[in-house]
Amino acid sequence: MSELTEELKNKLVDILNLPKERLENFDENGQLVGGELGIDSIDVLEMVVMVEKDYGIVINNQEVGQKVFSSLANLADYIRENSTNTST
Amino acid sequence: MTNKTVYISGVGIISPLGSGLADTENALRENRTAISSLNLFPLLQGAPLPVGQVKTLEESNLPRTHRLALHAARQAADGCTSPPDAIVLGTTTGGILTTEQLLRKAEHQKEPYRHHGLNTVANVIADELRITGPALVVSTACSSGAVAIGIGLKMLRCGQAQTVLVGGADSLSRLTYFGFHSLQLVDRNGCKPLDYNRQGMAVAEGAGMLLLTTKKPKQVVAKLLGAGITCDAYHPASPHPQGQGAFMAMQKAIMDAGLEAKDIDYINLHGTGTPDNDLAESKAIHKLFAYPPLLSSIKGAFGHSLAAAGAIEAVVSTLTVSKDLVPGNTGLQNIDADLGLSPLRDPVTQPSSIVLSNSFGFGGNNGALVIGSAETQCSHVYHQAPEGLAIHGYSCLTGAGSTASSLNRMKSGGAVSGMAAIETISENLPQKLIRRLKRLPRMTLSLAQGAHDASGFEKQKPEAVFMGSSWGALSETHDFLTRLNESEERFPSPTDFVGSVHNGPASQVAIMFGATGPNITCSGGDYSFEQAVCAAELMLDDSTQSAFILGADEGHETFSSLLDSSIARGSSLADGGAGLYVNRSRAHAKCYFSLPFYKSCECEDVMAELITSLGKKTKKLDNYVLVLAGIPASMQELGEAQLKKFIALTKLFAPVIPYRQLTGQFGSASAVAATLAASCIDAEHIPGSLVEGSDITIYPTDKILVLGLGKYITAMEFSRP
Repeated sequence: MSELTEELKNKLVDILNLPKERLENFDENGQLVGGELGIDSIDVLEMVVMVEKDYGIVINNQEVGQKVFSSLANLADYIRENSTNTST
Repeated sequence: MTNKTVYISGVGIISPLGSGLADTENALRENRTAISSLNLFPLLQGAPLPVGQVKTLEESNLPRTHRLALHAARQAADGCTSPPDAIVLGTTTGGILTTEQLLRKAEHQKEPYRHHGLNTVANVIADELRITGPALVVSTACSSGAVAIGIGLKMLRCGQAQTVLVGGADSLSRLTYFGFHSLQLVDRNGCKPLDYNRQGMAVAEGAGMLLLTTKKPKQVVAKLLGAGITCDAYHPASPHPQGQGAFMAMQKAIMDAGLEAKDIDYINLHGTGTPDNDLAESKAIHKLFAYPPLLSSIKGAFGHSLAAAGAIEAVVSTLTVSKDLVPGNTGLQNIDADLGLSPLRDPVTQPSSIVLSNSFGFGGNNGALVIGSAETQCSHVYHQAPEGLAIHGYSCLTGAGSTASSLNRMKSGGAVSGMAAIETISENLPQKLIRRLKRLPRMTLSLAQGAHDASGFEKQKPEAVFMGSSWGALSETHDFLTRLNESEERFPSPTDFVGSVHNGPASQVAIMFGATGPNITCSGGDYSFEQAVCAAELMLDDSTQSAFILGADEGHETFSSLLDSSIARGSSLADGGAGLYVNRSRAHAKCYFSLPFYKSCECEDVMAELITSLGKKTKKLDNYVLVLAGIPASMQELGEAQLKKFIALTKLFAPVIPYRQLTGQFGSASAVAATLAASCIDAEHIPGSLVEGSDITIYPTDKILVLGLGKYITAMEFSRP
């Protein structure tokens, strides 16, 4: 698992107030939204803010959002592909 | 049984389209939109989004929502020869726009914040129009205006009032402007409801007021025929995908009017222009109407004025039934075929006798109204609900902790002021459910859970929720505004915005318990819990229904001492609240109670009226065994004088406890007093330690009185079931 994925897990614990232990063992390819973590549309918007604030990437299109937030791995990939702020 | 006709005898409106009926009618006939770029307040980032902003409004030292509400109220009451008996107003913003500016200036004085509370909007109207009856404030997000009108309808039908001023008002504010933007619910290109390319709403402002009366006026504008109020109990911010709550609200409103779906000539849609709302509403309409009637959303013209929307749309509905004006769906270019609806693109002139007007809001709070022309014959007969409610379960939270700890300490004569730890108020709640919730919604859920657990109805779901809160979710509101400011308006929190709405906690209760009936949050300052009781007595009309009545307020380090005039800066904070599980059945109940009196202290001879009201059934007042008196610290002198007068006039012998000495100062302290009263009745015993005397046995005819004193005089009576 990449450093970026680990970093994202910590951020999700923080901004979504998720139990740390549940995210630690969470499969990076597992369903992120609407799955066992209970992440819903409001959480997605909170993640949108986090991605913009911390990585400078704006997601304001629902279709893109659905793809990006489908799993942690996809979120990490999207950040890597679009970010100028991170080298991970 | 009663078949009272409810007439609309006056209307008032101020909106981005103009002020008064004539301006509104002209703009609607021209199919004109008033949506344009925001310029009410400066922005730190980016281009202003399209909004519906009122162009001209009188200046005064009142916040903008108050001025909008007053403007419309004056129009509605114009020509009224005597003051209305009551006012029921929907608002979500209160004085927040002013508060936002004060916080930016780091204003530390209390005085400039005095109009922050939602209740103050109704109070300024009551003061100007000399309304001395209840001034109820409803805050159910975007359905507030419609719900307020529905409550007014019930007040009139049950004979509690003969004339009621109802409506809704909201101003633009940073909270709502950035809040809806953070939820990606704003269309950057203006608002076009039901359009294939719709991308959201335009946040707007305005006020609509209607004067309702059961006395046939010289000039009948229209008739209010029915109302339906429901809750999705699905999600804090998204509508039920099948529009189930919307369907139920429309169906109830039509039934309440004694009509069938085929009788509706036109539907004034909620139609916000967000993809989800319009789709859910279309599904609800298809479920109810085999062949939907003419329909349109006017939010492409007005924008979405939140709590005002339902009232503005009710005013527009009176134009439809009185001036044959069926409005167009302004802004519509390409109809979204997935909706399967045929909205009117342009306004038409066509006689329409009966209009259905929809309003839906955050928390899944829905309100639908049926408005008929002056000629409509109303033959429906309504069953009058009995006075009072049976308490089957009760709970409370205070600085002493849970229900048992709080009641035990109070009964032993000890104070329970303070703030319980967040772990204590969360201990009976599943972690998954409260992950995003801060102090007030957690307290509210915990109180509901506690009252339900104690009710003996563990397997039965409550249908309705009535909530009173003086200040709403202070933590969420504070955190939203703080993050907005700290990030220079770049990163407002969607979570805090959703949590900041006053009806958030009650809608969380509805979701937890699947309560799909009326879900009404009232905010009446120090009388918020009493307002929730008033709403419950009026709206819980089905004898088989059960409900929660909840009252809670949180102590907040920054806000409490700034906003609440009873809380001195630097004093230790107190908070908490209470929950009751009620229905209309005395069988197996723990206690019975009612709210027989609610009037302004401005009312002439108010104490004499109170005593007449309390004594009218028994002709005597000597069956009180305990009086719990609520005197907010900010009105200490006034309250003590009122209490002294009450004791002198009644020649009362029962012990009197000023209960805020036990609970500490917070808005809904009266909810805790109610639970204390219910618990003593349940035990048929008042401990001597509570009253600094001998133990008192409670006999079947005995009562405990919970008095509210100060600006309003309220009375709740508790007796054995």
